[in-house]
Amino acid sequence: MLTVSHVTKVFPGGKGIFDVSFTVEKGEVFGFLGPNGAGKSTTIRHIMGFMKPEKGYVRIKDYDTWKDQGQFQKQIGYLPGEIAFMEGMTGRSFLDFMSSLRGGVNQQRRAELVKRLQFDDRTPIRKMSKGMKQKVGIVAAFMHEPEVIILDEPTSGLDPLMQKVFIELVLEEKAKGTTFLMSSHSFPEIERTCDRAAIIKDGRIIAVKNIHELQAVQRKLFEVTFENEADRDAFLGSGLKIDSFKDKQVRVSVQGDYDRFTQEAAKYRIRSIDVFTLNLEDIFMDYYDREGRD
Amino acid sequence: MNMPLYGQMLKNHMRTMTSYAFGSAFYILLMFWIYPSMATQSESLNALIESMPEGLGKAFGLENGFGSIDAFISGEYYGLLFVLILSIFSIMTSTQLMARLVDQGSMGYLLSAPTTRIKVAVTQAAVLLTGLLMITLVTTLAGYGGYAWFIGNLSDFDSNGFLLLNLGAFLLFFAVCGLSFLISAVSNDEKKALGIAGIVVFGFFSLNLVGKISDQLSWMQHISLFSLFNPAGIVKGTVSWTPVVIILLAIGMAGFIAGITIFRKRSLLL
Repeated sequence: MLTVSHVTKVFPGGKGIFDVSFTVEKGEVFGFLGPNGAGKSTTIRHIMGFMKPEKGYVRIKDYDTWKDQGQFQKQIGYLPGEIAFMEGMTGRSFLDFMSSLRGGVNQQRRAELVKRLQFDDRTPIRKMSKGMKQKVGIVAAFMHEPEVIILDEPTSGLDPLMQKVFIELVLEEKAKGTTFLMSSHSFPEIERTCDRAAIIKDGRIIAVKNIHELQAVQRKLFEVTFENEADRDAFLGSGLKIDSFKDKQVRVSVQGDYDRFTQEAAKYRIRSIDVFTLNLEDIFMDYYDREGRD
Repeated sequence: MNMPLYGQMLKNHMRTMTSYAFGSAFYILLMFWIYPSMATQSESLNALIESMPEGLGKAFGLENGFGSIDAFISGEYYGLLFVLILSIFSIMTSTQLMARLVDQGSMGYLLSAPTTRIKVAVTQAAVLLTGLLMITLVTTLAGYGGYAWFIGNLSDFDSNGFLLLNLGAFLLFFAVCGLSFLISAVSNDEKKALGIAGIVVFGFFSLNLVGKISDQLSWMQHISLFSLFNPAGIVKGTVSWTPVVIILLAIGMAGFIAGITIFRKRSLLL
């Protein structure tokens, strides 16, 4: 459905994307993970045909997105990472304008999306918060029921409730056979919706994996608080990977091996366990480390 | 052309375009209104102009004096004010139509819809030219209105000369719009586009002015587009139109075509 093939673009200064390749199958939700500045948006700009690749090409269905402008967009929904609308518009007039550019959309569908995302489309866009703008952008990306939807950091600015609504929306569309490409710097966001994900760092794809495989290599940090310090010392000797410890608290780094962690922890009296959300770099230390050694 | 985009853009820019048009109409009416009081003094005014250095009178289009309304309007309005108004319009509007959309990122939305960059750019150029045409038309009509209102019977009016003044101004700014559109279409940064277009347009303007004032520097006006619009010459009927029309149309077309083609081929940071 969507093929990115050996796309290379080097900016003055040496940054850019290098030999980026991956394929997204029809009906698949594909995550595109990487820290800020890794090249996610640049790749998406190439997918949308905004930039000319120095090498390689991007195909959506049978269209080359650089050469076949005007053709491939009919089946595409797009949510930019940085939302900029034209001045002087309200949410409604912007959506009206986008509908007319697309030659008309299903009004019922559009109204339903506005209702689900719960925003007032009569508000002038310049008075909207980041989250409100994001909602308008999501409606614009979904309303014409495209076959492929490309989302650049879709949940940024949305509150947890709306993130949930958004995830439901993606899963419903996926069930209908819509293909998604979704970039993010947060693994939990990708984890809930995606089948596969590519990890990009410094402009290079370092892994394209099934989401389960990624979950297996993902490191999580558990902070265990023991009742007794003696238990803590015994736990320290259990061979688990200890990140740090202080008083009765121990931070354990667990990678895939949750079973062993729970078995070890179950041997002692425990007051509480917390899980720390790590940033992407920490989550995939493994991949990055390997990359660093090469 | 993309009609929904054309409609939306016209709507976005209608307010500023009407401000330019009515501002210009107001000024030309003002000129017609003050002319009768100037005309009673025309002899002493002409004497004053005689006493000024020759170049200065030429630079500001005063060489025809204040004897007739055509001479007065050509010198006072088309020689300076109208040219300034349209220069500002060309620079500002062309920057807003292309470079600003790229700079802000809303161009991304336009290009994610099923349209081509060529269509988008052609539409934006059409919006720019619609504005230019509107301002010129409103000014022309206001001129006729002003004559009928303040001077006398329209049948005495040198309608031909007045229409040619407007046609000349339109052609000059067709070329200026072409150049500023080209600058806007190749820019990623709105402020940079505005700056470069401003330097180019007002640079041409100043070259023309300086070239007319000083004999030693008269070569300067020959490299300026603005010398191709000579209001005093148009009213006197001494302008040879053929090369003027061809050069201005050619420059304008070249600017628009180059702008559209480069915009099609360049990478956009959206």
